[in-house]
Amino acid sequence: MNTAELFPIHHIRIDELYQSRKRVLEVLSGLLADDELGGQQATRIFEALVARERLGCTAIGHGIAVPHGRVDDILTPRGALIRLREGVDFGAPDGAPVTLVIGLVIPEDCPEQHLEILGRLARHLNDPDERETIMEAQSAERVQALMVEWLKDSAEATAS
Amino acid sequence: MDATNSFILLGALLLFTSILAGMASSRFGFPLLLIFLGVGMLAGQDGVGGVVFDDFQTAFLIGNLALAIILLDGGLRTHIRTFRVALRPAVSLATVGVMITAGAMGALATWLMGFDWYYGLLMGAIIGSTDAAAVFSLLKGSGTRLNERVGSTLEIESGINDPMAIFLTITLLEVISAGQSLLDPWILVFLVQQFGIGAVLGVAFGFLLREVLRRIELAEGLYALLIASGGLLSFALINELGGSGFLGVYLTGLVIGTARNRGTFHVLRIMDGLAWLAQAGMFLILGLLVTPTAVLDQIVPALILAFALLLVARPIAIWIGLWPFHFNWRETTFIAWVGLRGAVPIVLALFPMIYGIPDAERFFEIAYVVVITSLLIQGSTVPLAARLLKVEVPPLAEPRQRADLNLPIEPRLEMVQFVVGEHTDADGAGLDRLPFGESVTVAGVVRNLALRKAERGFRFQAGDIVLTIIPEDMINDLNRFFTGERRKKAALAEQTFFGAFSLRGGARIADLAQVYGIQPPEALQEATLDEAIKSLLRNPPVVGDSVDLDRVSLTVREMDGPTITQVGLKFREET
Repeated sequence: MNTAELFPIHHIRIDELYQSRKRVLEVLSGLLADDELGGQQATRIFEALVARERLGCTAIGHGIAVPHGRVDDILTPRGALIRLREGVDFGAPDGAPVTLVIGLVIPEDCPEQHLEILGRLARHLNDPDERETIMEAQSAERVQALMVEWLKDSAEATAS
Repeated sequence: MDATNSFILLGALLLFTSILAGMASSRFGFPLLLIFLGVGMLAGQDGVGGVVFDDFQTAFLIGNLALAIILLDGGLRTHIRTFRVALRPAVSLATVGVMITAGAMGALATWLMGFDWYYGLLMGAIIGSTDAAAVFSLLKGSGTRLNERVGSTLEIESGINDPMAIFLTITLLEVISAGQSLLDPWILVFLVQQFGIGAVLGVAFGFLLREVLRRIELAEGLYALLIASGGLLSFALINELGGSGFLGVYLTGLVIGTARNRGTFHVLRIMDGLAWLAQAGMFLILGLLVTPTAVLDQIVPALILAFALLLVARPIAIWIGLWPFHFNWRETTFIAWVGLRGAVPIVLALFPMIYGIPDAERFFEIAYVVVITSLLIQGSTVPLAARLLKVEVPPLAEPRQRADLNLPIEPRLEMVQFVVGEHTDADGAGLDRLPFGESVTVAGVVRNLALRKAERGFRFQAGDIVLTIIPEDMINDLNRFFTGERRKKAALAEQTFFGAFSLRGGARIADLAQVYGIQPPEALQEATLDEAIKSLLRNPPVVGDSVDLDRVSLTVREMDGPTITQVGLKFREET
């Protein structure tokens, strides 16, 4: 698979406005779910994301959160991204309201990939310049291009 | 009258110059005490000042007074909760460690200087105690924060090894001047009496003073003076009753310090000034007292002793003293390296003169060289050593100004001012981006020399001074928002150090395994992260401790007392 499939353009929303963390996670689950399977899968994804949030908030500081989880009825990893116009309180350790939410779900049987993609995302988001670039990207296409670039190597690794 | 005025003039001039010189010195990470000592020496009989001062009695009096204040201040500052991780190792270092140091140095001094065996031991005892104040002011100046196990061990060690070194010195002097043997049973009685009376009465005075402070209403500045005079009272009375006043006054401070109540904040600030004055005054006097040309006569054996202390005796003493406590080698090495000697050895070196021991000046001169060498060599390398040995954790920054509001609310509310820095998360951000927005009240913002309200649509700008009312436990996060530079990659960035993701200490290992598909050991399945980390570590945990679990590593990120509340999660791929 390639990264453009991991973050398809219709999984990226960059000018949204929601009131709560729960609402953000619901919308994110909807984006991550297969269109034909619809509601049922979205619910399972939502539950997986919430299960992870219960271990501790997935906000990683500077207004960014990376909710993630494992789901049994998907075949490949899937990502989605929501950028918010106003911050939503995620209960982040640094207290910052979250404005960038990157969601990731992984099939049950490949935790190896799971950790690698998360680690890679975390490393890029740790870089102040890269953080600023994605926060200020003007279009969904630009955001998608950034994700492709960040995750290029891991996509290659999983393809082989 | 003229003499009085010139005395004041001289004293004030010395203090004034030293403090100004000290400001410059802290930029270079140069121990401040050396400046005071240097100014004193310059003013002294071999220096430009040419002031002849050889009144050992006066110096002894000032030395004792200053030590009592410094120990009181040290006790006040010691957080009793640090005892959890550091009390036992620190006690081991202050007893076994000091004796090993004194013994080893004593053997060397006996051989090197041709001293009598008891004189050699005396020399070892005099230079046996450490001074953590210098260490902490240096670390603060360089923005380094030590892991709690190392920091607290050093801090408590230096507080309680002073009484031990003082006890050894006095005991040896009694033995020497009375022509007795060290194996006499009275020494044991003396030890029990000194430490027993000192400990019991010191704690008792502490509780008494704490109660007095709780009940009375005073002008703010007077609290500190009341504590200082109360501490001195405790010191002198305990000495009078045959106990160790030095141990007593430290414990008195410690007990008073456990009550974090109204005014403690200001008291600590004023006490800080007093302790400073005590240190400065003492070092100035000691600098005046010493005759540098006489020191030069002793320079070769003194330097040998100094280096033997730094490179051999202290490391051996630390290694043995910490043996039962499973410190890792980096921590042990760091503690061994930063055994800075401070004022105590020089004051102790006055004791032989007061006792009228022949050739007593030699002790004084050698102690001088040892202290200066230690301050110069160890002092200037403390931050470097902390970095190389990886005993530091990401620092907690301090805001522009903070003041306790003394409100009956938990957690405590403080009025805190932040300055918005350039290229920070705050720069250009609106009020909705404020961390912990619900709990933070922005009272106003000072911009262009005018106070304005922060209303809807307001955006922060670099240079703003933001006045906030916030719970104290959020200060660090807000400070990072306002002053943490976005572009600057901190040497010890939090995310790199702890990992990107945080987990609750109360989360269960089994749930963690489920989310990440990792295989933790069977025995840990039912445990919480807090329990699992504790069972995998051999010591009580401190922030920065880390354990590996299958393909992830867990780092203690935040603690509340003995409980781990936040854990950093790192994937191997991140490193």
